[in-house]
Amino acid sequence: MSIDLESEVEIEGPEVEVAGYVRELKDDRVEKIIQGSIARNEKKARIYDRVATTVVWTLALAGLGILAFIIFVILYRGIATALTPGFIFGKPEAMKEGGGIWPMVVSSFYLALLTIAVVVPLGIGAAVYMTEFAREGRITGIVRFGADSLATVPSVVFGIFGMVLFVIYFGLGYSLLAGALTLALLNMPTVMRTTEEAIMAVPYSYREAAMGLGASRWETVKKIVLPSAMPGITTGVVLTMGRIVGESAAVIYTVGLFVRKVPVSPLQPAAPMAANIWHMYTEGALVSDWMRVANGEAAFLLLVVLVLNLGARLIARMYQKRLGMVK
Amino acid sequence: MIDREWIVKKTLFVLAMITVLGIILIIFFVARESVPAFTEAGPANLFSATWNPQSGQYGMLIFLAGTLATTVGGLLLGTPLAIGSALFLTQMAPRRVRSIATRGVELLAGVPSIVLGWLGFTVMVPWIRSATNSTGTGVLAASIILAIMVIPTIATISKDALEAVPESHIQAALAMGATRWQMIRRVLLPAARPGLLVAIILGMGRAIGETMAVALVIGPATAFPTSLTTPTHTMTTKILIEMGESTGVQRSSLFAMGLVLLLLAMLLILLVRAVTRQREAAR
Repeated sequence: MSIDLESEVEIEGPEVEVAGYVRELKDDRVEKIIQGSIARNEKKARIYDRVATTVVWTLALAGLGILAFIIFVILYRGIATALTPGFIFGKPEAMKEGGGIWPMVVSSFYLALLTIAVVVPLGIGAAVYMTEFAREGRITGIVRFGADSLATVPSVVFGIFGMVLFVIYFGLGYSLLAGALTLALLNMPTVMRTTEEAIMAVPYSYREAAMGLGASRWETVKKIVLPSAMPGITTGVVLTMGRIVGESAAVIYTVGLFVRKVPVSPLQPAAPMAANIWHMYTEGALVSDWMRVANGEAAFLLLVVLVLNLGARLIARMYQKRLGMVK
Repeated sequence: MIDREWIVKKTLFVLAMITVLGIILIIFFVARESVPAFTEAGPANLFSATWNPQSGQYGMLIFLAGTLATTVGGLLLGTPLAIGSALFLTQMAPRRVRSIATRGVELLAGVPSIVLGWLGFTVMVPWIRSATNSTGTGVLAASIILAIMVIPTIATISKDALEAVPESHIQAALAMGATRWQMIRRVLLPAARPGLLVAIILGMGRAIGETMAVALVIGPATAFPTSLTTPTHTMTTKILIEMGESTGVQRSSLFAMGLVLLLLAMLLILLVRAVTRQREAAR
């Protein structure tokens, strides 16, 4: 039986071959119906395809449009304020206009560094255990469940938990340290996951080579696996920094909302920028130019996050160049 | 040497268990703080529809309703955009557009929620106010903001799910003469369905838990939302606004709300696990 590979159904004369049987056709009506319905179906499919393609393009462009709009408007409304040195390095004012946000800027970065110092060892350690030491089984299942659960807990719940455990129970009071411990727990799943992904990307042959030379598992991880996974890990950490700087719901009840002095010790209360914007919104009317301050603060915060995002990408690229890795 | 390996392994194990310890601690402490609400006010009071601490009524139904309404609204608006973006990125986008768009989704994920809320409060709410002749705050504004918040989550996970569909399936469908849309509808989407479901569930988790961005555009008011543009409250915004100035049973009932949020989050995780387990069983 020969198979007709052409797309059209070829029908010659009054006979048609259907599944090996030759059938007589009284006239060519059947053929016309078949051909017509095939043509209609194809036409319909083509139209559907075109419409669907257009719809998907529109949805995607709408999404991108929204993003561009958000970034543009935030920067447009606040960039003039955000980039004046007097604003960034100025003292906040509670009574008169022209205040700055220097203590908040310091608070944000202080909190971010402190949190990173806590969360990085935890996250990387956990990731190394999961990828290099644990056998897939009950333990890894439990750890995964813990990490997944932590990742879905609303940040305001982290906030009230941190308030009860660190601020009150451990007696830290509203402080950078209480906030850092809370945010370390909040961000641990992210650091863990990005580190795991980076470790998984390291070729298995590297480990085999190191073990073959007599290195123990831990030596292999320390000298071979972690250094090779460094670009991915660093990218994850920098992105996490961005998330910490932008976090407010978990910060308000652990670190504070408004301070006048630049925080020096981790045990002092502070006012990260994100929390301070909320303070402006709730208490704003104290200063007549509160809108200007909050707009500037929002723009500056967004700039910091954008720079960190770009930074993460650059770091990854730099590492890749140096290691000669092609991805 | 052996000893050191053992110590290292145990240490790393302890670090990994911090995730488990963390979630247990959170549940324990939030539950502990909400005990007075359950013993002194009682469950019937807590799950009633009236919140009036002065007269000892601590019902959370208003806030549950607010959370539900804004979450559903956000998902309805956000899901098509997010899955559309994921389809676009995996199937249609030219190479250059793809890298720009992927980076765009990442950036959107990085926009702090307070910044988005501030934008909503200063730009979007006035628009809605003038368009609908209302305060402009409420479920509609919150839904729009939440849609923007969940797009990155849903888009990223959907993209992974779509990319996990074997190329051979796609090529087979196209070789049979299917148009691209037929292939997407009949092969790609059905094959990726569990993954897409997980994406939407996790997006839902984000929407339920979002606090700051919603707090700036929700109103706020302790009343059931009677229309899309009447001020109301969600559970997260209520906790945020009242925790600082409440004591006793009122404070405790806020923790009870936090406990309900926690249980919702855990429920979603269990759902995700059920969906993924189904997928593995199907293979």
